[in-house]
Amino acid sequence: MSRLEIKLKVNGRSRSFAIAPGEVLLDVLRREGYHGVKRGCETGECGACTVLVDGRAINSCLMFAAQADGCSLLTIEGIAQGDRLDPIQEAFLDTGAVQCGFCTPGMILNTKALLERSPQPTETEVRDMLAGNFCRCTGYTKPIEAVLTAAILVGGLKGSRTASTAKRKPR
Amino acid sequence: MMPWIESFQRPTTIPEALQLVRRGGRRARFVAGATDVLVQADPSTRILVDVTRLKLNYIKRQGKGWAIGAATTMAALEQSKEMQRLADGILAQAAATCGSVQNRNLATIGGNLANASPAADSAPPLLVLDAEVVMVGPKGRRRLPLTKFFRGVRKTALNGALLVEVFIPPLPKGRAAWSFHKLARLASDISVVNAAVGLGLDGKGNCQWARIALGAVAPTPFRLLEVEKRLQGKRLDRALVEQACAQVGEQVRPITDVRSTSSYRREMSGVLVRRALLECAEGMGHKL
Repeated sequence: MSRLEIKLKVNGRSRSFAIAPGEVLLDVLRREGYHGVKRGCETGECGACTVLVDGRAINSCLMFAAQADGCSLLTIEGIAQGDRLDPIQEAFLDTGAVQCGFCTPGMILNTKALLERSPQPTETEVRDMLAGNFCRCTGYTKPIEAVLTAAILVGGLKGSRTASTAKRKPR
Repeated sequence: MMPWIESFQRPTTIPEALQLVRRGGRRARFVAGATDVLVQADPSTRILVDVTRLKLNYIKRQGKGWAIGAATTMAALEQSKEMQRLADGILAQAAATCGSVQNRNLATIGGNLANASPAADSAPPLLVLDAEVVMVGPKGRRRLPLTKFFRGVRKTALNGALLVEVFIPPLPKGRAAWSFHKLARLASDISVVNAAVGLGLDGKGNCQWARIALGAVAPTPFRLLEVEKRLQGKRLDRALVEQACAQVGEQVRPITDVRSTSSYRREMSGVLVRRALLECAEGMGHKL
């Protein structure tokens, strides 16, 4: 079995990885130290291994690493700007949407892709999106609130509304 | 993870892809989104030939119909404005239920059909749309009605050929409505039963034509031609719908598995067809 070399961008940095032809992206990313990519079911059900590939959320357990050649990836490690958290991360913290935290990286990345595509999502859209991320602690009420809050914060930061004037749900 | 894979090929032309699979024989397999290939993890597969670089990712007008490239993702279908409009959006709706958003971003329409799961959600809508599949094999290009494509559980007419395109011919003229219904624990789960219906009515509420397809209740997704015939030419009223739905129960051959019993699937086949017929009638303003 010959090893392959793939060249890709991870969190803005150009990387090149030697991979086995049957390896999935999840295994390669964790081996390379991106431990925010969580290993869950490994059958595309739980969404804990979600990463963005060219802006689209995918389960890295169901993608051959070979198919990521030439792509641009975003993992949870790359979402904050230095010491400044991404507004989606802020929203998850502020609403108490994080308990054990295992599902959180996947939820945050899936949220980022949703908000790029649909900056003001309906609750139905949010629920459909979160159906791809199993959480066995919080029961989804808080994550849904977090995503809707994040939509307001992200919209504000992009200038359509400011975060300070955005309506927040009373706690 | 399939550690036994010896070679992962990424050809950029169809002839190259065909040659790679032919050379690999039984050890070689086409792969697109990989969402089925990786879950099945078949140990006899040693060579994977990726078809996502063959420029088969498109949704375009062809004559008065639509051509959909086999590597078009479920996400692209569900987000396509054209597919959201075509036939009341039944194909876009079905695509939106093919697993979670992460899976829909990878899974392709060609993969969904070639995998030939009895529960493939894209199949019933395509069957009622009279879709055809275009295949390219060693002997060239050929076109087959989707009804002749499925040969059994996970069996197709491909026989080493590559599914390159799905063609949706022009829809029937006149007043018509379409409906897709799916029964599963969550919309994104594997279907217990899925159903698609197309219905054409004249101004007096007489059924001009009906097309009905079901999935997950027989070895392959299929058209219920006898039920369609029973509806054709008659005035659509409650009694006719009930007769048709009772007949649906006779036409299905469901199994019992982890998701449902055979008898529940049989019962729900009739229920889903009734819901779909009533939704079509309502969509055309026809009161039953």
